[in-house]
Amino acid sequence: MSKAEILEALRQHPFTHHMDEAWKESLAEMARLQTYAPDTLLLREGRAADAFFLIIDGIVAIEMFIPQRGPVRLQTVSAGEIVGWSWALPPYRWEFDARALVETRAVVLDAAALRARMSQDCALAAWILSRLLSVVAGRLKATRLQLLDIYALPEGRLA
Amino acid sequence: MIAATGPEAPVAVEQDLFTPLPFQVTAVRRETADTFTLRLRPPDGRPFSFRPGQFNMLYVFGVGEVAISISGVHPRTHDLEHTVRAVGYVTRALVRLHRGDMVGVRGPYGRGWPVEEARGRDVLIIAGGIGLAPLRPALRHLMVHRSNYERIVLLYGARTPRDLLYRLELERWRGRFDLHTFVTVDRGDEAWRGHIGVVTTLLPLAERLLDLRHAFVMMCGPEIMMRVAARELENRGVPPDQVFVSLERNMKCGVAMCGHCQLGPLFICQDGPVFPLSQVYTFMETREF
Amino acid sequence: MASLESAIPTPGQAWRMEKARLQELLDALNRQGYTVIGPRIREGAIVYDELQRLTDLPIGWTDEQEKGYYRLKRREDEAYFGFAVGPHSWKQFLHPPVFLLGRARRNGQGFEWIPPTDPPPRYAFLGVRACELHAIAILDRVFMGGPYVDPVYRARREAVFLIAVQCTVAGGTCFCASMGTGPKAPPGADLVLTELPDAFVVEIGTERGAAVMAGIPCAPATEADRAAVEARLEETARAMGRRLDTTDLPALLYRNLEHPRWEEVAQRCLTCGNCTMVCPTCFCFTVEDASDLSGTQAERVRRWDSCFTTAFTYTAGHPIRQSAKARYRQWLTHKLASWWDQFGTSGCVGCGRCITWCPVGIDLTEEVHAIRQTDGTIAGERR
Repeated sequence: MSKAEILEALRQHPFTHHMDEAWKESLAEMARLQTYAPDTLLLREGRAADAFFLIIDGIVAIEMFIPQRGPVRLQTVSAGEIVGWSWALPPYRWEFDARALVETRAVVLDAAALRARMSQDCALAAWILSRLLSVVAGRLKATRLQLLDIYALPEGRLA
Repeated sequence: MIAATGPEAPVAVEQDLFTPLPFQVTAVRRETADTFTLRLRPPDGRPFSFRPGQFNMLYVFGVGEVAISISGVHPRTHDLEHTVRAVGYVTRALVRLHRGDMVGVRGPYGRGWPVEEARGRDVLIIAGGIGLAPLRPALRHLMVHRSNYERIVLLYGARTPRDLLYRLELERWRGRFDLHTFVTVDRGDEAWRGHIGVVTTLLPLAERLLDLRHAFVMMCGPEIMMRVAARELENRGVPPDQVFVSLERNMKCGVAMCGHCQLGPLFICQDGPVFPLSQVYTFMETREF
Repeated sequence: MASLESAIPTPGQAWRMEKARLQELLDALNRQGYTVIGPRIREGAIVYDELQRLTDLPIGWTDEQEKGYYRLKRREDEAYFGFAVGPHSWKQFLHPPVFLLGRARRNGQGFEWIPPTDPPPRYAFLGVRACELHAIAILDRVFMGGPYVDPVYRARREAVFLIAVQCTVAGGTCFCASMGTGPKAPPGADLVLTELPDAFVVEIGTERGAAVMAGIPCAPATEADRAAVEARLEETARAMGRRLDTTDLPALLYRNLEHPRWEEVAQRCLTCGNCTMVCPTCFCFTVEDASDLSGTQAERVRRWDSCFTTAFTYTAGHPIRQSAKARYRQWLTHKLASWWDQFGTSGCVGCGRCITWCPVGIDLTEEVHAIRQTDGTIAGERR
């Protein structure tokens, strides 16, 4: 896994579209490429949020483990999207599980290094946080639509 | 007095306008808990001619008539196929029919999907729930005339894995190298290894495969889904005259006379049910319009 | 001018006919197999029904109309047509309120469809007002102007004989003058009558009209007669009880779909649908199915419907227009805005029936005026 490969993977990912080239290079310094076998966890509820995942390929499920029911899948994240934002918010702890459903490849950024870099470079921090905000907003919108249960039959019908 | 308005204009069938033709039910296939596909054989046995996206008025003896989109023609028998979700009294009566029963058919009516206009373009199909039914003939048309189109992507969302329509065909579509099929459900189950989330969450995947700004988008599903997807597409720079939606309203005649299916200036039965988004977006956003 | 003896009525001519000779016109129409329908008094209102004799007409009567108000009153003269329009319109004869589309009879697992066989009636309408001629022309576009033609409407419409009567009285809720639909009759009638104190001036509209008039002795109308007709029409136009400013009306309504006025009118509207029933152009219908107890015979009946019912938009288990606001807005914007897009004409002819027969006195001219005064206001969302 060469630095060039990592940089290229970062460049290809939609999260970094329109990002300053110098920033991409500095992100590549703190990144690794990782492949997750089906069913492995990328992150787990309660653990330290020490990484930021840019999914290159595969499907990742956001899950929550419920006693007596096991892991319940709430949403999936696909190629071109990101997983995890708890690394950006104190106390830097994961709130959910994230599991690869199929073989999944990701650029994994070291969260501690990224936070340190962002604390020194406000412009980079603003850029990343605003991107994260739009991801969070999109995820929230999708969740709300899921709550609406739009395919269900209307209740109280007379026909 | 009876003037055709263009090559798309249907031919007037005056005296027979309100006379249902008896079609025989040759099969009733269960798709999901409340959705069934009826196969209907025309009285003369000849293949039923229609354009993808058009609908028929289906009459159940003594119960009533309902507008149902045509979901295909059986490849071998050429029987007409209608996928019906049992939500009202006529649709419930339809799905209770058996092989050998008769259904009255008037149609086909309305304007269909822009399969000709989309030639030479990328095509994105977005289906939600039973919205896949009116899109199936369009997709089949695209696949039969595959070389006329560039990349084709199907995004299909359903409530749960058990609510997916046309499972066998869906599997075949997923297996094709010249069609990208993505399926998502709102709620997964143990066995489901695919996407979970509303159908709009699949848009980033489609965006990686085709150039949305030049693609033709054909969309059908719950109105709320289409409204949200329309906004997402707009945000991605898709011109609204390249996005087509199929709308649903109460219909009593199918020929723009009973007044029920009006949406502002439009009669959904005659001017639609397929519309360019640019023509209907304002009305879709106007509440209770 | 041709002499009385040699003159044969031809389209475009005007004749002066003694009032009592109207009976001869009725007889001539009856002989030709027409059922003559015209105004007569029933249950305190002037309605349209079958006429046998001239004396069936409301001679010497008039009507007082205001919003939510209608009363018959004696006139001081014996005018034949000294009133405005009542709760009926000709729509009910051309587009029957209830019509059997056909029967289905079960045979084995299938059924046999039996279409209606009764020959359509041949009507002669006596006393069609200018606004009503416009209304019929509008229904023509609805039922016969599209890619499909309604066989029910067409059979009645093509057989009908039209005798217009130009209004010499304006009703309290009339506003045809501002709609450009009266009081002068547009072309289209077989005969056009105007009542003068001592005679009718009869304008021949069609060959058919000329043929009926040929057997009735009358004299060519004089210049004075023609001038009297014009003067009466001008006077009627001036006496209109209401007016509607139609300037840019469709655009005004389309850009005010979220105007708070819809909510205000909905507070008063009972969504009874009276306005749609009395409207001479409201055409919506539903189709109802019924089967006998043994399940061997079924009927399909087409029946007038109204966009004021919630069932009207019942789609996949739910009505789309649930609130009264949405239903009133649909009706008004259809009449005055979307009708133009659909049929190239207004859906309103200014007859004023919807104002008179609204039980709570909602007046569409007032509603439009209110929106125009506060154009662009957006309603606060409250539910």
